Amino acid sequence: MNAMNAMNRMPGGFAVYVALAGMLVAGLIVLLVLGPRWLTTPPAEDAEIPAASAADVRKIQARLFYVDEQGTGLAGVEQDVLYGESTAEQARHIIEAQIAPAPAPHISAIPPDTKLRTVFFTTTGEVYVDLSADIQTNHPGGTTNETLTVYALVSALTSNLPAVTGVQILIEGREVDTLAGHLDLRRPIEQDLKWITN
Amino acid sequence: MRARRIPYARLTIALVAIAALSQLHAQSGPITVLSRDGRRTLPAVDVQGHQMVALDDLAALFQLQVRDDAAAGAITATYKNQTIVLTPNQSLVSASGRLVSLPAAVIRRGNRWLVPVEFISRALAPIYDVRLDLRRASRLLVIGDLRVPRVTAQYDEGPASLRVTFEITPRATALVTQAQGRLVMRIDADALDASLPPPPQQGLLRAIRATEPNTIQMDLGQRFSTFRASPPVSSGAAAVITVELLAAGADTSAAAPDAPAAPTAPVAPVAPGGDLPLLGGGARPSVRTIVIDPGHGGEDTGVTGPDGALEKDVTLAVARRLKSSIEARLGMRVLLTHEEGTRVDADGRAAIANNNKADLFISLHANGSLRPSVRGAVILTLSLDRVGEDARRQSQADKAVLPVFGGGAREISLVEWELAQAAHLDGSNAFAGIVDQKLRTTGGLPSVTLQRAPMRTLAGTNMPALLIEMGYLSNPDEERMLTSTGFQNRLALALTEAIAAFRDYVEHGPQIAPAP
Repeated sequence: MNAMNAMNRMPGGFAVYVALAGMLVAGLIVLLVLGPRWLTTPPAEDAEIPAASAADVRKIQARLFYVDEQGTGLAGVEQDVLYGESTAEQARHIIEAQIAPAPAPHISAIPPDTKLRTVFFTTTGEVYVDLSADIQTNHPGGTTNETLTVYALVSALTSNLPAVTGVQILIEGREVDTLAGHLDLRRPIEQDLKWITN
Repeated sequence: MRARRIPYARLTIALVAIAALSQLHAQSGPITVLSRDGRRTLPAVDVQGHQMVALDDLAALFQLQVRDDAAAGAITATYKNQTIVLTPNQSLVSASGRLVSLPAAVIRRGNRWLVPVEFISRALAPIYDVRLDLRRASRLLVIGDLRVPRVTAQYDEGPASLRVTFEITPRATALVTQAQGRLVMRIDADALDASLPPPPQQGLLRAIRATEPNTIQMDLGQRFSTFRASPPVSSGAAAVITVELLAAGADTSAAAPDAPAAPTAPVAPVAPGGDLPLLGGGARPSVRTIVIDPGHGGEDTGVTGPDGALEKDVTLAVARRLKSSIEARLGMRVLLTHEEGTRVDADGRAAIANNNKADLFISLHANGSLRPSVRGAVILTLSLDRVGEDARRQSQADKAVLPVFGGGAREISLVEWELAQAAHLDGSNAFAGIVDQKLRTTGGLPSVTLQRAPMRTLAGTNMPALLIEMGYLSNPDEERMLTSTGFQNRLALALTEAIAAFRDYVEHGPQIAPAP
C-alpha cells in the first residue's frame, strides 16, 4: 500500500526508474551475449563446416565388458562403436571403446588414462594389443582386478570378432610377464567364458 | 590328341565341382533352436565361408513381417513396431535406427533373401523382447531364459585309469549313476551345449555323447571295473566334476568305501585329484620341504587397503607365521622366497622352489576389487591354455627311466621349464580342495572360492602349487581382519593343518583325504 501511494505521488519518477531498468537489461545483453561474438574472429563467408562423411558416423553395436555387480566377473554391455573398414581397424575401435571411461553406472576394469598405441593381427588370428604403460602404473593390483582387466580386453575382441583366437597384450611395444604380478601374459590369452557372468 | 583331352578336362572340372559341392554340404548344417516350446531346427547354408540363414525362415520363427521394397532398394523386417532395414548386397543393416555391421552381405538366392547367422544376435536380438543367445560354434540358438550350460570334457590317461574332467559353465549340479554298461551324468539344466571329444581307446570308455535333454552318457569298455566321481568344485563361473574310470585288476583301494558299485548309486565324495607323480625311484612319496612365497615385495607393494595397509606387508607377516607354525608342528623344512625389502621376479620365486626340491609351493596374496564390498578368500591353481595342455600331454608321454645310486630306477618327466606346473595339476587341485576345507573350518572363513587361472608365478613350479588370496584388502572389514594378529595366526594354523592332511594324502592315497 505504501509503495503504491508513493508511486501515485511521483508518476514522473516511476517512468524514470522503468527507463533505467530497461537500459540496464539491454546493456547486460550486449555485454554477455553479443560482446563475445564481436570479440571472436568471424568465420570466412565462403568457409563451410565440412559435412561428416558416411564413414565418420558409421557405427556398429559391440559387446563391451565392465565389472559386474558382484565385483568378481565381467558383465557384457551392448554399445555403439565406430565402424572399421577392416578387421584390424574394427579391433582398434573396439579396444578404444573398451579402454574409454565406462558409461554410468558401469565400472571399467581398465585403469584410467590407459591409451592404445597400436593393434595388429597375425595370420593365425591372434591380435596384438599394444597399450601405454598407464595400464601397469595405474593398476590397483590384486588377482581379481588384474583378471578382469585382462579378460575385459580379451573378451571385447573375441566376442565381437569371431576371427580372433587369442589376444597378446603388449605394453609400450614390449611383451610383459604380467600387468600386476599375477596373470601370465607371455602368450596370447584365449577367451574364457567363466569370467563373464551375463 | 586334342579330341581326347576335352573329356579329361570336363572330368576334372566335374570332379572339382563335386568336391566343392560336397565340401559345401559338409560345412552346412542346421542350427538347433531351443526354447520353452521345444527343440527345432533352423536351416543354414555356408556361402563363401559364412553361415547364412533365410530371412523367411527367421520371419516364421520370430513372427517378423518381412517386406521387399524393390522401389526403395531395401528389405524391411518388422517386429512389434520396430523395424530392421536391410540393403541387398550390403553388410550394414539398420536396427531401429542403429547401424549394425554383419560379417557378410545380405544376398538373394533364388527367391529367398539370405542373411549371415549373426543377424540374429546383432540386429534381431536388440529389438526382440525375449533373450536370444546365439552360440555360433555349437550351432545353437537359445530363445528365452533356458538354462543351457556349456559342457566340455578333457581326458587324462593313466595305465589303468581314465580321468574325465567335465567343466560346466555356468555352474550346475550333476549326478553320476551307473546302469547297463554305462555311466550317466544328469545335469540340472534344461538342455546342454556339449562339446565332447572322442575318448582315448584304452578299453575303459568306448564312447561319450550328450543325450536329450540334459544327460551325458558314457559307454563303458571291457576293461572297466568301477568309478569314482568328485563333487562339483567351483572354478570361476564354472563347476568342475571329475569322473575317474578304473580298470579291472587296478588298485581300487583309493576308491571310497561307498563307491558306486551298484546301479544308480550316488556320486561318492572323494577328494579331487588322483595318483601323484612319484618323486624318486622306489622312495615313498611324502612332503618334506615347503616353499612359501610372500606375494609382491620391495617396490612392488601390491594392493593398498583403504586404511593404507600394503599387500606386501600382509603377505610377509602371514608367511613368517606360517613358517614358524609348520616348523614347530610338523617339523618340515620351510623356505621363504624373499625377505623384507627384496623383490624377486616370478621365475626367481619358482626357481627357489625347484632348486630346493620343494614338495609344495604356496604363494600368499591379498586381493583387490574395484567394488569395495567384495570379500572372501580365493584359492587359485594353474589353468592351461592349448600350449599348456600340449605340455601336459607331452610330460605324460615323454618319460625316461634312469638308474639311481643304490639300485632301482627313477622316472623323469621331460617338460619345458616354464610349464613345469603342467605335470602337477592333479596334486595342486587335490591340495586346493584340502586348503578350501581347512580355511572354512579352522580358518573360520565364510567365503572361499576355488578358481583356475593362468597364474604366472605357478607356471614354472615343478611341484604341487597354489596361490591363495587370503581376503580382499580393498574391503575395509577384511583389511582390518588381514592385518590383525589373531586372524594371521588362525590362517597359519589352518594352512598348517592343510599341509599335514596333504602329507597324509600323498603318503597313503586319496581315500583318507577329508571330504571337501
